[in-house]
Amino acid sequence: MIRYQGGSLDAFQEIYAQLAPGVRRYLSHLLGGSEIADDLLQETFLQMHRSRAAYNPIYAVRPWVFGLARNVFLMNRRAARRWATVHESREELPEAPVLPEADRLGSQDEIRRSIAYLAPDQAEALLLHHEWGFSFEEIAGMLGISAAAARARASRGMADLRMALNSLQRARA
Amino acid sequence: MGPAPKPPEALLRAIAQDLRPVRPSPQPIQLALRMVPLALLVSSLILLVIGPRQDSRILGPLLTWGASAAQFMFAIALVWIAAHESMPAAKLPRQIVYFAEVAASLMVVFVTLLTFTRSPANPTLPVPPWINATLRVSPWIAGLVCGVGSTIAGGILVLFFSWVFRNSLATRPAVAGALYGAGAGLAINAGWRIACPFSAPGHALGAHGAAIVATVILGALIGRFLGRRKLYIGGRSS
Repeated sequence: MIRYQGGSLDAFQEIYAQLAPGVRRYLSHLLGGSEIADDLLQETFLQMHRSRAAYNPIYAVRPWVFGLARNVFLMNRRAARRWATVHESREELPEAPVLPEADRLGSQDEIRRSIAYLAPDQAEALLLHHEWGFSFEEIAGMLGISAAAARARASRGMADLRMALNSLQRARA
Repeated sequence: MGPAPKPPEALLRAIAQDLRPVRPSPQPIQLALRMVPLALLVSSLILLVIGPRQDSRILGPLLTWGASAAQFMFAIALVWIAAHESMPAAKLPRQIVYFAEVAASLMVVFVTLLTFTRSPANPTLPVPPWINATLRVSPWIAGLVCGVGSTIAGGILVLFFSWVFRNSLATRPAVAGALYGAGAGLAINAGWRIACPFSAPGHALGAHGAAIVATVILGALIGRFLGRRKLYIGGRSS
């Protein structure tokens, strides 16, 4: 990031290569599988470029870019007033989130469906920690909550997910 | 594993057009400390013009200078919280933000009441007698002067803070703006309360308190405006 701030295009491409897939999946989750994830991904990296002077090297790059993606998503939501339509119609499920921990509890489709119906704040904390590997301190900085609250949200999300998957399995049996 | 993803051509072109080197943003504490000299200068201008209040001996150094120093440090803390709020990966828990706002309000009220308890007398200003007579009959004139004066001084600080925060990436830009607006208002009040001779809560909270509220609103409006310009999809940035 420091090389990028110094004006290196190669450094930008490296950052993009490392972060774009994860950021896209995160946006896709926030958008509930909406097709505009790719647009917002480009917008995130464009905003990162415009705001590169706002980055301080004491912070890790990944949470900073994910936080920026979240800002872009929220601004887009406010601008387009899409929230209601996005979260009311969960027909198209997010493509990415299938937690390794939950993998043995159900099929990928069941896990996706269950995550999609978790409370949004729990699902977000759960995925940021288990899917993208952020620490609870990093999640706290991104979401504006305490590390304990981030841990509690992820933990409640995982408990609800387990319960939902167990119910599905019982129903199947 | 597939090949590393490459940015789309259009994005790469846009990036390549502007690759001038930039200086990294300072840390939140550095950003807050940068505000100190100007905030100190603007808030103490009133002291240079009319000097400290006549009852400062009755109040004692702790309630005169100590309370103002505490308010000033609180103001810098609010700017520090605003700086955290402006960074996507460094946000503080919401409880801290709300607690700081409530604590700042309570601090102003507490210092006002303590000052009034120690020195409740109506002052006679070192001005022509007819002005004192007028102020006794129409105390709102003093309120208007203090309210407008400290709002203008606070407004200058808010504009300066907005310039320093021009790269803010706050998710809630109005909240970040309100925080540095409150910081500006509190810093100005720290200076004005040492100079203003009126202790009555009606004056201190009505006029000086209203000036703080005005700077909070001004900061929130500017923050919101700048935030929308910066992060609105397709928006521009400095």
